[in-house]
Amino acid sequence: MKNPILKENIERFESMRHPLSLQAGIKEANRCLLCYDAPCSKACPAGTDPGKFIRQIKFLNFKGAARTIRNNNVLGSVCALICPVEKLCEEQCSALALEDPINIGGLQRFATEYGKHNNLEKNQPGKRTKAKVAIIGAGPAGLSCAAELAKRDYQITVFEKEQKAGGMPAITIPEFRLNQDALNYDIQNVMDLGVEIQFGASISCKEHIEKLKNDGFEAIFIASGLTKALKLPLLNNYQNALSYIQFLSEVKNGQLNIDVENKTVAVIGGGSVAVDSANTAKALGAKKVYLISLESLSELPADDEEVRLAQIMNIVFKSSTQITGIENANNEIIALAGQEVEWETPGNYSPSNAVLVNHTQFKIPVDIVVTAIGTAVADELPKVFEGLQTGAKNCVVANNQFQTNIPGVYAGGDVVNGGATAVEAVSHGKEAADEIDRFCSISGK
Amino acid sequence: MKKVDLSIDFCGVKCENPFFLSSSPVGNHAEMCARAFDAGWGGIVYKTLNIESSFKIVMPSPRLNAYHYNDKRFVGLQNAEQITDRNIADNIEDIKNLKKNYPTKVLVSSIMGFNDDDWRTLAKMSEDAGADMLELNFSCPQMARKDAGHRIGQDFNAVTHFTEVVKKNTNLPVMAKLTPNITDMIPVAQCAKDGGADAIAAINTVRAITDVDINNFTPLPNIHGHSGITGFSGAAVKPIGLRFVSELFNSPTLKLPISAIGGIETWVDALHYLLLGGRTLQVTTAIMRYGYRIVEDLIEGLSDFMIERNILTIDELVGKAAGKLIDPSDFSTRFQVVSQIDENKCIGCGQCFISCQDGGNQAIKFDSETRKAEVDESRCVGCLLCKHVCPVWDCVSHKEVDTQSEKHAAIF
Repeated sequence: MKNPILKENIERFESMRHPLSLQAGIKEANRCLLCYDAPCSKACPAGTDPGKFIRQIKFLNFKGAARTIRNNNVLGSVCALICPVEKLCEEQCSALALEDPINIGGLQRFATEYGKHNNLEKNQPGKRTKAKVAIIGAGPAGLSCAAELAKRDYQITVFEKEQKAGGMPAITIPEFRLNQDALNYDIQNVMDLGVEIQFGASISCKEHIEKLKNDGFEAIFIASGLTKALKLPLLNNYQNALSYIQFLSEVKNGQLNIDVENKTVAVIGGGSVAVDSANTAKALGAKKVYLISLESLSELPADDEEVRLAQIMNIVFKSSTQITGIENANNEIIALAGQEVEWETPGNYSPSNAVLVNHTQFKIPVDIVVTAIGTAVADELPKVFEGLQTGAKNCVVANNQFQTNIPGVYAGGDVVNGGATAVEAVSHGKEAADEIDRFCSISGK
Repeated sequence: MKKVDLSIDFCGVKCENPFFLSSSPVGNHAEMCARAFDAGWGGIVYKTLNIESSFKIVMPSPRLNAYHYNDKRFVGLQNAEQITDRNIADNIEDIKNLKKNYPTKVLVSSIMGFNDDDWRTLAKMSEDAGADMLELNFSCPQMARKDAGHRIGQDFNAVTHFTEVVKKNTNLPVMAKLTPNITDMIPVAQCAKDGGADAIAAINTVRAITDVDINNFTPLPNIHGHSGITGFSGAAVKPIGLRFVSELFNSPTLKLPISAIGGIETWVDALHYLLLGGRTLQVTTAIMRYGYRIVEDLIEGLSDFMIERNILTIDELVGKAAGKLIDPSDFSTRFQVVSQIDENKCIGCGQCFISCQDGGNQAIKFDSETRKAEVDESRCVGCLLCKHVCPVWDCVSHKEVDTQSEKHAAIF
């Protein structure tokens, strides 16, 4: 039961980034220079190896390309849709010296969809003969670690507190950027490896960890991500102020109970989640949507593709501005007061470096405010693991081998790095799997 | 501005430029030929005439299949086309009208008979209709009967005989259109000359198979469940065409003007054929793909080249590169070349490295840090594979080293 305006807009946005046809895919792959030391492959955190899968497409080995992606990146279909390729693989493409970079994201989608629609054989389940490993969180890092260890015959159980797998991308990334089919396909591929996922299984107290130990789990990988949205104290306690997690997840679930149609929405933040929120609000039929960011337009940390969509959607960019106050009535925010800012030290984009510019005050009447200024680790995590070392934003401290200060407990993904891309989380999961494998092998498990 | 003269004399026939339609569907009837003349073509070779009372032509279907290379479409074209399926009266009427409306354009009548009478009749009718020249089709590789087309072109006595029959019954210059589906074209060209031919047209299409349908294991074009080895043309056959044209031109005994055919699309292709001995140039496949309009670019491109090089007539170009062809056994080995990679132009893709490693003499080093390729001159054997695989057109060059000895040999 989806909002009909949203449904129509999702279809419209999806059609704007339609997949490459067979013809377009072959043509694009033939533009590839097939580099010896493919810099795209080096630039992919997860080691998806575009240099190889594009070569496979060029030589008409489409299923081989799909296999390469699936073997190297358990979220290959998801990453094909949401990776900020212009900052990773495509930025390094050698073809840039001559012309446009190769459309690597498009080719990755081409290959994964080819596999999906052409009976690519299922993953073979691991033998589950080795040690039991518990993974907390079925997001990109958790699924990636789970898949790698399952392939090596470990007995993997993923404990996911939500009712669905996929982590933050599944919960918050709008359907028009990440379709559920792609996500389901990747998750099914992980489950086919023999990974068990327990849904609604929150690991939220010391006793849960005790139970894991008693149940014979030899190692734990914490991949619970960042689930606590940061708030602006100024906006606390108003019923028309939402966090982006609440807004985006409720829209995805069809549970949003405020009406957005014909309303004015202000989104505070400049990252991907902020732009996703703004585009979603517009897709729900909002009359006017503001994106209020400290960063200037060219400094927005959001992906280029999202920003392009926001431009097409006529989002009003209030760039290089800061909210300085609110007006309220009946426990609702009715207007935001703001002012332009400059960076005191150029190149330092932290809020504390922003200084107000005189005589630039403005006021925006609003119906709904969405805050998307970042996330932190859930408050309960430090209580779950006694003595676990944590740092800024409550992030878990882990060394280069993804070990925490507690033996046998590993951590990776957003919960460690404080929030980065899905593809980086996948790489953490893979690398942590190597370390967990080594740990269990040494201890004879 | 200097003006170049693209006109050329071919067997006494004055051609305003060397660009002709070759005998094919592009010159199937008067309306088409008129549009070609209007577009700027200097002449046409009308689609091969046939006397339907002697043999009725029905085209197989589908009759075409294209050869695609990767994403590049239509690199070549395979056809199962026959000579004309129109009746002779209509065609002769068309030729008459064309000559009446375009008196300064050249009209070559292509003919094919199945016996002496046919050849005689077609020659006579063409001449009477006003054709400027005859082209004898000894080379269609997919005729609907086994005693015709390229099988005549492979039968030396038949070539001499039918050329003689035609020559005895016409005052027009006659050229024999020959098949490349033969080891050596010179002897058969000589037979045509013996029969009185005034010129040679070459090449007709190359017998080939362009594709196999991997779903039903049937070669293409799939003509109701079967296919055949038929004529292949277009850009892909140009290297073969250049070979035959240069051999005809370089023959010390033949000495006949050549109407060159085979994969001409651009003025550069045209120039290649002129330089290797063609006097006139015939085009079909590129027209089928791009239309008559391409003649504008052939004319303008060739004219500009000639102006830049101060070459004022086509005659000055004909055969100018052919003399540089020698037998491979006579190549000098005294001078060896060494590849030179321009590091400022190198974009670091490493394709030259891969090719030299796996297909050359392992003479290129690739620095993964700087992402630059570098030639190890002590190992370079000067094959220039690197130059040909480089995606930057002007990145790899070479220098010549005088080894002071014809007996120089690689030491690896």
